[in-house]
Amino acid sequence: MRLPPQSAARGIAVCLLTLIFAAFLNAKGMRKTAEIQQPGVQRSVGLAVAKPLVDVSSFLHLTAPRHGIQVALGRQSWDDIDTQVRFTLPPARQRTATPPKAPVRAAPHHRAVLPRFTAAHPLRVWVAGDSLAEVPGQGLQRVAGPAVDIVGVESRLSTGLARPDLYNWFLRIPAAVRQLAPKVAVFSFGADDAHDYLAGVPKGRTVGPLGSASWDAEYQRRVEGVTRELAARRVYVVWLGLPIPAGSGFQHSFPIVNRILGSVAKANPRTSTYVDTWHMLDDAHGRYTPYLREHGKLTLMRLPDGVHYTASAGDLIARQVLTQLRVRFAF
Amino acid sequence: MLFPTTTFAIFFMIVLPVSWALQRHRRAWMGWILLASYVFYGWWDWRFVFLLMASTVVNHVLAVGIYQSTSVAARKTLLALAVGFDVGLLAYFKYSGFLVSSVDNLVGTSWVVDAALPIGVSFYTFMAISYVVDTYRGEVVPASFARFAVFQAFFPHLVAGPIVRASELMPQLETPRDPRKVDNSRAFFLIVSGLFLKIVIANHLATHIVDEVFAAPNRYSSLEVLAAIYGYAVQIFADFCGYTNIAIGIALLLGFKFPQNFDSPYTAVSLQDFWRRWHMTLSRWLRDYLYIPLGGSRKGRTRTYANVMITMLLGGLWHGAAWTFVAWGAIHGIGLCVERAIGWRPTSTAGVWLGRILTFQIVCFAWIFFRADSFARAWQIIRRLFDAWGEPSPLITTSVVLAIVFGIGVQYVRPSALQWLELRFGRLTTVLQAASLALCLLVIDALGPQGVAPFIYFRF
Repeated sequence: MRLPPQSAARGIAVCLLTLIFAAFLNAKGMRKTAEIQQPGVQRSVGLAVAKPLVDVSSFLHLTAPRHGIQVALGRQSWDDIDTQVRFTLPPARQRTATPPKAPVRAAPHHRAVLPRFTAAHPLRVWVAGDSLAEVPGQGLQRVAGPAVDIVGVESRLSTGLARPDLYNWFLRIPAAVRQLAPKVAVFSFGADDAHDYLAGVPKGRTVGPLGSASWDAEYQRRVEGVTRELAARRVYVVWLGLPIPAGSGFQHSFPIVNRILGSVAKANPRTSTYVDTWHMLDDAHGRYTPYLREHGKLTLMRLPDGVHYTASAGDLIARQVLTQLRVRFAF
Repeated sequence: MLFPTTTFAIFFMIVLPVSWALQRHRRAWMGWILLASYVFYGWWDWRFVFLLMASTVVNHVLAVGIYQSTSVAARKTLLALAVGFDVGLLAYFKYSGFLVSSVDNLVGTSWVVDAALPIGVSFYTFMAISYVVDTYRGEVVPASFARFAVFQAFFPHLVAGPIVRASELMPQLETPRDPRKVDNSRAFFLIVSGLFLKIVIANHLATHIVDEVFAAPNRYSSLEVLAAIYGYAVQIFADFCGYTNIAIGIALLLGFKFPQNFDSPYTAVSLQDFWRRWHMTLSRWLRDYLYIPLGGSRKGRTRTYANVMITMLLGGLWHGAAWTFVAWGAIHGIGLCVERAIGWRPTSTAGVWLGRILTFQIVCFAWIFFRADSFARAWQIIRRLFDAWGEPSPLITTSVVLAIVFGIGVQYVRPSALQWLELRFGRLTTVLQAASLALCLLVIDALGPQGVAPFIYFRF
């Protein structure tokens, strides 16, 4: 038996009421969604709606069911918004972003005393970052031998070091180090950071647009802070640079992030390294190409969006990561 | 614009009431729904709206030409032009890179083609082909330009189907929808079930086992690899069936009926049965516009097998520009030929269950090639299925097993049980309906991942 058809007006009323009820029940999630937007009209309107919604919803205890489910699933912190950029170490002495004058000659000296890793005692590597981290992480899982243990590939869409309000990597990184005990952390950050807005800027400080001296300094503080914090925990950091993109917009913004990542790695050669994926994936004329020749075969390296990697590109980057790691570790 | 987002919810809450308010004013309604559809499509990349418009203009002009022409030769020429244009569009945007790199790897040309893939191009191009071919066959009379534009761009089906035929949608576009006869209960049921399948089941399996295992199978045990293969079978069903459920539900709320696209495909007793249940609108498109024009089963046994193979190989290629998709089509094609050769039609209970189990295993085996990014990876997965039993399997968690069991088990639930649920829901008051839907959304959102994952079939 089927119900007789109903009126369109009723359908519209049910849709509208559902969205209103759902908005109250998911008010905290909506506030977070609004908060993590890029600054602009959409974010302002979203926050203007979400904040009073959370107040009313909390007052009526309508946030309780969502919280209850999240607690049951161990996701109680998902709606929290923590914008703080936390470092336990005091800031490093002022250092310019330019590389040291003398070339780093540490490698030959260290080669003799390189810590050795085997299948029985593997080098523990943790890969983390935005959506660009996933494929190189999977590439490492494929190409690394038994002496390298990829203890985790943590790829969180649209996150980075610029927006701790969206996802706070400054909290996650030390927690992951405690939990997974990696010897190496491979990070792919920046594709979602290359915008004007930086959340979690210390009080009293203002930051200009992307590429301004103040933006560069704040972003460099974060990259440097992560590097130093991990060095203090004896974790070596591999910073994956951003690849050459197809779109003209990113062609200007990605190099800004790459310059900072590269300069921090050069300034901390004993504890970090920078993998230049931009030039690894460009063509002979330094332009974007979706294909590269691999073992004589034209191989697709980039997804149709002109930013993300194919598995072949992931393998290429992974092999380069391992090559650079062999300067510091024997495996 | 993705369906399971706040942006789409706001968009739809504007489009829906205005659409009903304009029902009696056909020209205004067409303008409104066309504008809404172009906004929906342009949300990804506005440049491709012009491509969609170009496809509409060219196909409409040629269809009208075919209809008005009295000369057989002229009609054939116009049909060839239309099909050539549509296939050319697909060839350039979807297959040029694949074709050029394949040729290069054979003869070494060093050509590189970089064409961005417009979302949904395979779907709206197939709809356009069916429209001009049906016009040529005299099954369809060309509609006004505006109606054809709405037919092709109508946002519920635009980016991932179902592939609706002119004979199904055009008459509905012609007459105002009756605002007293809307199947709201069915629509909400489809939308909520689609969201659950996509956001909870498909995303959970993708992120908790499938992506990891298919990326580096040698790192996982045989049990994990087996679970990942079954997991992918459920993931792709939940992802695509979820999307089309939402699309059909949204169309219903707007007053339009779309054809069914899935009918419990993993209960199929044979591959032939599977293709009557999986992506049904594509299956019938391939049957009516490829298999039958090739001669179908009318020209002898050998030719029938050849036609089946050609249809399935091209059907595989439709899904993606890679040889692994062709292999997927080949496995299905060979299976269909074998079934035909031995006359496989189980009737006894034992035969039906044997058929179901065998068919599911073959379908899952074929999914390996569909999901793997290369033949090398597919072979790794197959090899790994056999050589790592007994190793620890940390990816086999309760939630993964539950998601797989649910994804398969739900297909064995009798339609009458679902109708009973629908009936109970339909009898609730407006406020209670809204409250229960809001609770469903709460649970789906809480169980789903952070952020919005794209749908698998968008890339096809």
